[in-house]
Amino acid sequence: MPQSAYSKIDRTILDTLKPAGRSYWIGVGLLGLGVLVGAACWTYQLLVGIGVGGQNNPVGWGTYLINFVFWVGIAHSGTLISAILHLFRAGWRNPIARAAETMTVFAVCTAGLFPFIHLGRAWMVYFMLPVPNQRNLWPNFQSPLMFDVVAISTYLTVSVMFWYTGMLPDLAIIRDRAAGMRKKIFTVLSLGWTGAHEEWRHYSRAYLFFAALATPLVISVHSVVSWDFALGIAPGWHTTIFAPYFVAGAIHSGLAMVLTLLIPLRSMFKLKEIITLRVLENIAKTIIFTGLIVGFAYGTEFFIAWYSHNSVETTVFAWRATGHYSVEFWIMVICNTTIPLLFFFRKVRTHIIPLFVISVLINVGMWFERFVIIITSVARDFIPHAWGLYAPTLVEFGIMLGTFCLFFFAFALFVKHLPSVSMTEMKEVTAP
Amino acid sequence: MNTTAHLLSPELDTRRIVTVGLVLAGLGAAAFLATLAAQHPQRAWQAFLINFLVWSAMAQGAVLFAAVMQVTRARWSGPLPGLAASFSAFFPISLLLFAVVFAGRRHLFPWLHEDLHGKQAWLNIPFLFSRDGIGLVVLYSLGFAFISQDLRLAIGANTGAGRLRACLLGRRGSTADPQSCLARARVLGVLYIMAYALVLSLLGYDLVMSMDPHWVSTLFGAYTFVKAFYIGLGALIILAAAVRLRLGETCGLTDAHFADIGKLFFAFCLLWADFFYVQLVVIWYGNIPEETSYVITRTMTAPWNHLAWTVLFVCFIMPFCILLNRRVKTRPRFMIGLCAVILAGIWLEHLLLLGPALGPGTAGFHIGLPEGLITLGFLGAMAAAVAFFLKRFPELTRAAPPEPEKTST
Amino acid sequence: MKKSADAPHQHVMGLFRSEDQAAAAIRKLAQSPWKLRRVHSPVPSHKIAAALALKKSRVGLFTLAGGIIGFFSGFGLAIYASTQWHLIVGGKPVVALVPFVIVGFEFTILFAVFGNVLGFLTQTGLPTFKRLQHYDARCSGEHFGILAACRPEQHRELAEFFTRQGGEPRIFDAPSPTRGQAP
Repeated sequence: MPQSAYSKIDRTILDTLKPAGRSYWIGVGLLGLGVLVGAACWTYQLLVGIGVGGQNNPVGWGTYLINFVFWVGIAHSGTLISAILHLFRAGWRNPIARAAETMTVFAVCTAGLFPFIHLGRAWMVYFMLPVPNQRNLWPNFQSPLMFDVVAISTYLTVSVMFWYTGMLPDLAIIRDRAAGMRKKIFTVLSLGWTGAHEEWRHYSRAYLFFAALATPLVISVHSVVSWDFALGIAPGWHTTIFAPYFVAGAIHSGLAMVLTLLIPLRSMFKLKEIITLRVLENIAKTIIFTGLIVGFAYGTEFFIAWYSHNSVETTVFAWRATGHYSVEFWIMVICNTTIPLLFFFRKVRTHIIPLFVISVLINVGMWFERFVIIITSVARDFIPHAWGLYAPTLVEFGIMLGTFCLFFFAFALFVKHLPSVSMTEMKEVTAP
Repeated sequence: MNTTAHLLSPELDTRRIVTVGLVLAGLGAAAFLATLAAQHPQRAWQAFLINFLVWSAMAQGAVLFAAVMQVTRARWSGPLPGLAASFSAFFPISLLLFAVVFAGRRHLFPWLHEDLHGKQAWLNIPFLFSRDGIGLVVLYSLGFAFISQDLRLAIGANTGAGRLRACLLGRRGSTADPQSCLARARVLGVLYIMAYALVLSLLGYDLVMSMDPHWVSTLFGAYTFVKAFYIGLGALIILAAAVRLRLGETCGLTDAHFADIGKLFFAFCLLWADFFYVQLVVIWYGNIPEETSYVITRTMTAPWNHLAWTVLFVCFIMPFCILLNRRVKTRPRFMIGLCAVILAGIWLEHLLLLGPALGPGTAGFHIGLPEGLITLGFLGAMAAAVAFFLKRFPELTRAAPPEPEKTST
Repeated sequence: MKKSADAPHQHVMGLFRSEDQAAAAIRKLAQSPWKLRRVHSPVPSHKIAAALALKKSRVGLFTLAGGIIGFFSGFGLAIYASTQWHLIVGGKPVVALVPFVIVGFEFTILFAVFGNVLGFLTQTGLPTFKRLQHYDARCSGEHFGILAACRPEQHRELAEFFTRQGGEPRIFDAPSPTRGQAP
C-alpha cells in the first residue's frame, strides 16, 4: 500500500523534529564552545595582527587558504547529489539530497569566512565589491581572487535558493501537522504552499532549471578556486589540469563528508529504512570513481613534469614526494586514491564501520591534498635562496577548530529544526 | 525472441550499405595512395592521421557509452547501448590503420629530426609504437569482452548464424546465465572505462600533443578522451536517427530516447568547451613563451585563426544555441545534420592541433580533394563495419520484447 | 480555472487516497456542471497533470531572460570597471575577454536563477495565503484533494459525486481558516 507508505515517511521524518534530549543539547553546547574558541582566536588575531598566524614569506597562504579550499570542496557534492543526480534521474539521491544540500549551504558559509580571516583587516572587505566611489577605484576583474568573490557569492546565493525552494513542500507538511505559534511560523516559511496542481506544474519546471543551472555552476566554482593557483606561474601550480582535478577532488571530499554526516544521522534519528545501506553503497561507488579521477590527475602531473624535462617542475614534484612534507604527501596519496579502492569489495562498502572510517580518512586525505598543493609549491619555487618552510600556529589551529565546530554546530541545529530528509522527494520514489 | 511481426516490418538494407561503404573505402585508399605518389606525401599522411584519430575516437567513445550505461545501471537509454555496441566493429579496422600509421612515421613525427634534450626517453619510435599498440590492443580486447557480455544479456541465447555471433555470443544454441553475464559485464565495463581514459590520454599525448615536442598541457589527455566521448555520442545519434528514419517505431527508439541522448550530447558539448577554455585561460595568464607560442600560432596567426574561430563556432557556439531547445533533439533528420556538422568541426579541430606542427611550414592548410576523398574512405569503412555488425545482430535494431531489456538490481 | 465572481459558491473537496481514482474523478468532473477549482497533491503527479491537460510551464522564459541579462551585465560590469580603472596589470590588455568570460558566466547563472525564482513566484502566485481557506491538511500527507465549487444548494450532490468516485468529501461552509485534521 503506497499510501500508508506515505504517512510512514511523514511520521519517520517528523519524528526527527521532536524536542531533543539532553545529550543532543550537550553536544550542541560543546560545539558552540568550539565556535567560541575560534571566535576568540580570531579576535586575538584582529587585535594583534595577521602575524600571529604562521604565514610568511615565501609561504603566504597557510591553513586559512587550505581550509577555504577544503570547505568549498565539501560544498560541492551537495550540488552534485541534488542537481546532477537529479538530471540523471538517479532515484537513490532522494533520501540524501536535502542533507547534502544543507551541507553545501553551511560549508560555503564556513568557507566564506576564511577570506575575511585571512584578510587581517577584515573591515576592508568591501574593497572586493564593485562599490561606486569617489576615487573611482574598482576591483580588478582580471584577478583570480575577484573571480572567487563572484563565484563563491553566486554559489552561496544559488545553493540557498535551491535549498529553500526544494524545502517549500516539506515546510507545508510541517505547517499542516503543527499547532500554535509553530504553525504560524511555518505558514509564513512555506509561503502558503498548498501543493495545488498550478504550484507543482511550475515547481517541477523551476526545480529542473535549478538543477540544470547548478550543474555548470558547481563545476565553474571549483575551477575558479583552482585558478587562484593555476593562473600564477609557480611550479606545481601552473598546470592546465588543475580545474577538472580540483572539481573531481571537491566532489571526492564532499561525498566522503556526506557519508561522515549521514552515518551517525541515520542511526541517531532511526532513519535506517529511509537512508538505506544501498544508498550508502551507491555513494561509496561514486567515491571509487572520483578517487580514480583524482589518482589519474596525480599521476598525470608527475608524468608531465617528467616528460617536459622542465627542471623546476621535476624538482618540485620530486621534493613533494621525498622532501620535508613527504609525510603529508603520502597521507594524501594513500587516503585519496588507495584507500577508496577498498570500496571495490562489496563487504567493505556494505558495512557501516568501514564506510565511516574510510570516509573520515578521505576527508583527512583531502585536507592534506590542499596542504600539499598550497604549501609545497611556494615553499620551493624558482629562487633557492628564498626557499622556506611553514607550520601552522596555535591561533590558526584555534580558528580551524572553531570553523569545524561551526559547521557541525549549524548542521546539528538544522537536523532538529528542519526536515533533514525531503519527505516529498521520498514520496516521489515510493509511489507505485 | 523476434516474432513474425518483425518480418513484416521494414528492414535495414545492410547489404547495400556494406557494399557502398566498401566502395567508398576503396576510393579513399586509392586517393590516399595517389596523394602519396604525388608531390606532397605529407598531405596524405596528415589526412590519414587525422582520420585515424577521429574515426577511432568515435568508435571508442560510442562503446564507452554502452559501458557507462551498463555500469551506472541506467534505464533511460533503451536500445541505444545496443546500437552503440555496433561501433566496436570498427576496432579491428582501427588497429589495422594504426599499423599503417607506423609506415608513415618518417612523415608524421616532426621530432624525429630534432634534438630532444633528453625527451627521447619517451619520444622514440619503437617505444611509442609498442606502448600505443599495446594500449589499443588492450582497449579493444576489453571492449569486445564487454560487448560480448552485454550482448548476451540483451539477446540471450544465440539463435542466429555467423562467426561474429559465435565469437561474441558463444556457440549457436548456447544460453547464457544472465546473473553471471551481468556481473561480468559490469566488471568488464569498469575496466573498459579505465582503459579508455588511460589509452586515449596516451594517444592524445603521443599522436597529437608531442607533435610539438616543446609544448605540454597536463589536461591534454583528459581533453582527448572527453572529446572522443563527445564525438562518439554524435556518431551514435547519427546511427540511431538513421535507424529510426528507416525502421520507424519498430526499432524501439522513442522521442524520449532522442531527447535524453541529446541532453547528454549537449552536456559533453559544454564539457568539451570547458576543457578547451580551462587550458586556454591558464596558458593565457601564465604568458610563458614556451606555452603561448603553441596557442598564438593556432589562434592568432592567419590562416589558423580563421580555422580556430570556425571550430569554436561549429563545435560549441552553434550546437549550444541549437541544443538549448528541447524539441530539435527529437527530430532525427535535423540531428543527423547537426551531428555531422559537429563531427566535421572536430575533424577541423584535429587539423588545427596537428596542422601547424605537421604542415610544411605554417604557411597554410589544405583542404581539397585528397583530404575529402580520404575522409570519405574512412566514412565508408565505418559505415560498412557498423552495417555489417547490425546485419549480424538484427536484434539490436528491433524493439525490445515487452519485459525490460536490462534488469536492474 | 477562472473564478466567476457572480453567484455565491460553496466549496466541496473530494479527498482521494488513490492517484488513479483522483485522475478519473477529475475527468468526470469536467463533464459535470460543477466547477473544478484546484487539485492538491502531496507529490507532483503526471496522471493528474494529464487529466487536467495542463500546458507546459513558462518559468523557462523567465530563466532564459535572466540568463541573457546576466550574461551582458557580467561582461558589462567587468568591462566598465576595467575601463574606469584603466591600468595595465601584468601586461594584459585593459579589456581582456578571456578572463571576463568567467565573470560573464557566473553572472549568467546568478541572474538566470533569479529569473527562475521570479518566474516560479509570479507563475504560482506565491507567497499567498488565500489558498489555505479551502484546503485540507491531509493533502500534504497522503491524499489527493480535488476542490470543486457549486451553487450552495447543490453541495450535497457534489459531495455524493465525490463519494461515488471513491473519495471522501469535505464540505467547506463559510470562508474560515483551515482546521487541519491529522490523518
